[in-house]
Amino acid sequence: MKSGSNLEKILAAGHFAFTGELGPPRGANIEHVKEKAQHLIGHVDAVNVTDNQTAMVRMSSWAAALLVREMGLEPNYQMVCRDRNRLAMQADILGASALGIRNVICLSGDHQQFGDHPNAKGVFDIDSTQLIDTVRRMRDEGTFISGEEIDGLPKMFIGGAANPFADPFEWRIHRLAKKVEAGVDFVQTQCVYNMDKMREWVKQAVDMGLTEKVYILPGITPMKSVGMAKYMKSKVPGIEVPDDVIKRLQGAEKGKVAEEGIKMALEQIEEFKEMKGVSGIHLMAIEWEHRVPEIAERAGMLPRPVID
Amino acid sequence: MSNENTAGVDTDRIKKRLDSRKAKMKLSLAACAHCTLCAESCFLFNARDNDPTYMPSYKFINSIGVLYKKKGVVDRATLEDIRDVVWGRCVLCTRCYCPFGIDIPEMIAFARNICREQGVFPDYEEKGSIHAG
Amino acid sequence: MVKAKRKPLEEIADAISAYGKVLTVGCGGCVSVCLAGGQREVQELNAELELTLKEKGTSKTLGNYTVERQCNMDLLQEMDDMVGGYDCILSMACGAGVQLMAERYPNIPVFPAVNTVFIGVDRDIGMYEEKCRACGECVLAYTGGICPVTRCAKGLFNGPCGGTNNGKCEVSQEIPCAWLDIYERLKGQGRLDDILKLQGVMQWQNQLQRTVVQPKFEKRYYK
Repeated sequence: MKSGSNLEKILAAGHFAFTGELGPPRGANIEHVKEKAQHLIGHVDAVNVTDNQTAMVRMSSWAAALLVREMGLEPNYQMVCRDRNRLAMQADILGASALGIRNVICLSGDHQQFGDHPNAKGVFDIDSTQLIDTVRRMRDEGTFISGEEIDGLPKMFIGGAANPFADPFEWRIHRLAKKVEAGVDFVQTQCVYNMDKMREWVKQAVDMGLTEKVYILPGITPMKSVGMAKYMKSKVPGIEVPDDVIKRLQGAEKGKVAEEGIKMALEQIEEFKEMKGVSGIHLMAIEWEHRVPEIAERAGMLPRPVID
Repeated sequence: MSNENTAGVDTDRIKKRLDSRKAKMKLSLAACAHCTLCAESCFLFNARDNDPTYMPSYKFINSIGVLYKKKGVVDRATLEDIRDVVWGRCVLCTRCYCPFGIDIPEMIAFARNICREQGVFPDYEEKGSIHAG
Repeated sequence: MVKAKRKPLEEIADAISAYGKVLTVGCGGCVSVCLAGGQREVQELNAELELTLKEKGTSKTLGNYTVERQCNMDLLQEMDDMVGGYDCILSMACGAGVQLMAERYPNIPVFPAVNTVFIGVDRDIGMYEEKCRACGECVLAYTGGICPVTRCAKGLFNGPCGGTNNGKCEVSQEIPCAWLDIYERLKGQGRLDDILKLQGVMQWQNQLQRTVVQPKFEKRYYK
């Protein structure tokens, strides 16, 4: 075991993994964390705790990660390259490991221009692929980026992101290959709506032998409304929403659009369970945490396996 | 010298300017032995296939030298010709070497000064404006 | 060359408000080429200042002069006899020129009249584009002659990232994705291998003030 985290154990045992997402509050109010976390406890294997997501200041991800851990939920501690240089990142990896965090997800981070501090100095000292390489080196080789030896190695299961839908499509698999070379253990993908492209990308990963080295967890976000689908299609970079997805939502009975969105997500999950090269799914129920237990139940994900 | 030629040029002012550095200017012009050693140290001369009009000595003689010889009584066209030499053929990198110690960049800068004072300088708002280098 | 843009008039007027005799100094170098601080811009600025002062019912003595290059002490020193008659200097040079001016005349306040913006190219007259951040560790060899430090909003070294959006940056549909351009150019040259390799972390060379001494001159400056 690289870190011995629950997520690693689930995946190593060959179970179909199920991860969720939790955004820390924009304040020091712990109740918000507790409220969101209670819907996820026992329903997911691990939960991504986001790091100043959309470049808005929030409770730090390591602190929120520790809070959910105390509540009995395993955190996937997210770390973005936007806000920290290589010293702070390596220090936080050590600190997180020392306090029992066992999964880290290495990301570039949304550009600061999207957030509430658009003129902040973006750090981007290293990029997400280099961060993956850094954590792997700290864990496996016991050295910092500088080459200096570490006294007490951090135990981390290393995650990353992948987006099969950004262009150019033929580049995407190579970007995954670079992250695998850097040492990523699992990747969660951008929200999947274009299943044709997703199948092709996963097939490429299988053919290149990447899936023997990395667990792929497609990202699932149920559509709540036609407006949300249209917004994601036109406004969110890197997300591809095919027209037939929007048409299907439009065809739903009045008041049943969200239900149709959940049905579509459940169909996707069923297909992913059977898809060679896919090891689980990552459910991003944005501001819909309270629906996670229901979705998990209907997707046949419950009860979650418990491994000692 | 007729006044028609010098319309729009304040020749008195040029003269006053020239007088302010007369000694150094005179000495510099007299000291030049046309040895061409300065040419080898000019990257523009080298880059322009050893075009003699890029020789530092040529450039200072055909700018401040002209003003000195005519005692500042020049027409606008002459100032514009000088402009094309001191801006168009020199970037004032100040790297030219003279065995006699003539400060060629200072002389070129001096010629630029006089042109500027008369409102003659490069117009970078114009397409294809002069631009050495 | 260095590219600059003039500061707003109010900011400049505010900076010199306490001084009666102001010398506005242009620079004949880069800022002339990009139309921010040459002789013409000096005259324009003084005319504008004159006008706002008049509107406010005050006046100042506004001198103007243009030095061939403010970033060169030899060319700057011709102002020695002139500056004594002024209470402050308004420099229209880039940040380098302003600082050398302030160093040359340490007893006279020197104010910047332009914002130095970047090292870039002339796209057309009056239009300039940033190309280089002077990181001191050029990576253009493996990026197809397109700088990711300057052009990628996140300065990535292993891109294009997942935010690439129809060939544009996730930050704006107005900004082309640097890494997509890198990808396309290398593909066209049959050099994609250059970016399939994992690029290690950058050894930033611009984290403290730098001095360049060319090898030929090392003996002269380093004893």
